[in-house]
Amino acid sequence: MSTTSTVVVDEVTRSFGRTRALDGVGFTAGQGVTGLLGPNGAGKTTLLRMMATVLAPGGGRLTLLGLDPARAEDRLAIRRRLGYLPQEPGFYRHFTAFEFVDYIAILKEMTDRRSRHDEVRRVLALAGLAEESGRKIRALSGGMRRRVGLAQALLGDPDLVILDEPTAGLDPEQRWRFRELISTIGEDRTVLMSTHQTEDVGALCTQVVVMDNGRTCFDGTPRELRELATGRVWLSEARAAGVRLSWRTGEGEHRNLGDAPPKGARLIDPTLEDGYLLLLGERALEPAA
Amino acid sequence: MTTAPGTWHLDQTLVRRYVDAVTDAVTAASVESHLLRCAGCRQAIADESADPASVARRALIWEDVVDRLDAPRVGIIERLVHRLGIGAHDARLLAATPSLQVSWLASLLLVLGFAVAAAHGRDEAGALFLLAAPLIPVAGVAAAYGPDIDPAHELGIAAPYRTSRLLLLRCVSVLVASAGLAGCAALALPAAGWSQAAWLLPALGLTLTTLALSTRLSPVVSAAAVALTWVLVVVKLVQLDRTAELAGATAQAMFLALIVAAAAVVVVRHDQFDTRSAV
Repeated sequence: MSTTSTVVVDEVTRSFGRTRALDGVGFTAGQGVTGLLGPNGAGKTTLLRMMATVLAPGGGRLTLLGLDPARAEDRLAIRRRLGYLPQEPGFYRHFTAFEFVDYIAILKEMTDRRSRHDEVRRVLALAGLAEESGRKIRALSGGMRRRVGLAQALLGDPDLVILDEPTAGLDPEQRWRFRELISTIGEDRTVLMSTHQTEDVGALCTQVVVMDNGRTCFDGTPRELRELATGRVWLSEARAAGVRLSWRTGEGEHRNLGDAPPKGARLIDPTLEDGYLLLLGERALEPAA
Repeated sequence: MTTAPGTWHLDQTLVRRYVDAVTDAVTAASVESHLLRCAGCRQAIADESADPASVARRALIWEDVVDRLDAPRVGIIERLVHRLGIGAHDARLLAATPSLQVSWLASLLLVLGFAVAAAHGRDEAGALFLLAAPLIPVAGVAAAYGPDIDPAHELGIAAPYRTSRLLLLRCVSVLVASAGLAGCAALALPAAGWSQAAWLLPALGLTLTTLALSTRLSPVVSAAAVALTWVLVVVKLVQLDRTAELAGATAQAMFLALIVAAAAVVVVRHDQFDTRSAV
């Protein structure tokens, strides 16, 4: 996909007890924003935790920034160039936003007090929290806490930014702010983000990887994912039989996804979500191995 | 200030100090009172304020003010740790330790208070205290670090600061704090003499054993296993009416051996704290 790959995931596996969370995932990602799409339990978080060096692969090969996270010195070098927002970042709720980001900055080896504080102010301003930096985290809304999480991920201008569902739980305005910020970050570095929102992928990502059951089932551009549904999305007056998915839209018509056009239906341009739904639908229809 | 019979004016030094806002409150009030009726000094202030060097100086002063306003508040524990010679940023990391919060230490004090109170008026005066005191630092270590305890644990692992250093730093601080509290409580025990200090070696032994086990298991699981074993041993000794033996030379020598062995495991396997987090 990319000429210079910051992230190489090659047949990576991982099990938790008898559960196979990752079953041979493989793709590469370079500069820009790469979106990981997939249903719950697809293995997105497990994969992102590996990329954040929090979890080691059970098998396969993972290369980050040209380094091998299985080696201690490489892992340290990766962590020095990494920003990570977990799916559910924990906070010291009695800390202010400034104090918390300052705490993480110390863990990121920023020992000079003055320059560290300048950096904390910079990332809080980037996340739109300049006015809230003195408020206790327990007094912040869920969206603001998410922004505190994002701010700490941006400390030190990392080359690789891992964001696990950064837009989850945000209202539309906050989501747009996040999208604007993430797209800016992705202009000159590698961002990997997981999401359930196909709108996020369409708005932000240069590359999309769809995962299901611990495997990669699509790796391409958002346009290529959308084109999977070209010629397979129809609008009809009545609910159609024999299509993969069909639902009534707000305008009273039925949107049908599938290969067999209902009688009297008209073909329409697909969306990214149509491509995603058809892709997962096909996976679901495959016979079990 | 330039003084002359009947009046005075601001000299250049005072003008600069006033513009930089580094005069004391009385001088500033005096200057402002004078500025109300002296156009010449007002002009001098205006000229100094517009001077690029002065503007740059004020910007630095303002940055310093902002930094002081933003700077994290330094709590009692953090201040104390810093005074003991720990670096300011390490002291900051310790300030987040759940088992170094004032509320935690206060609850420990309460537990020890109950143990001391229960020891008064009993034949086996120190038994209850001997059961409780060594578990205090073990509980503190369990509550100092780990995914079950530390809300920012995962963020910490993904950061370059060594996990083993953070863990050991927190554990040593918790051990010192809780052992200090237990030591103070022991002085209030009815029995005098050597038996008052008999809890110290078991406390160190159990704490180091918890740390040694934490190279393989989570700190909470390690602490639970150690605490359970300790409780079973003490209960058995109470049943056999042999609790006094815990303060005896043989038992204390065994605890010393446990300390040495557990410390050796921690030294040899301390890298596991860093690598285990990535497994």
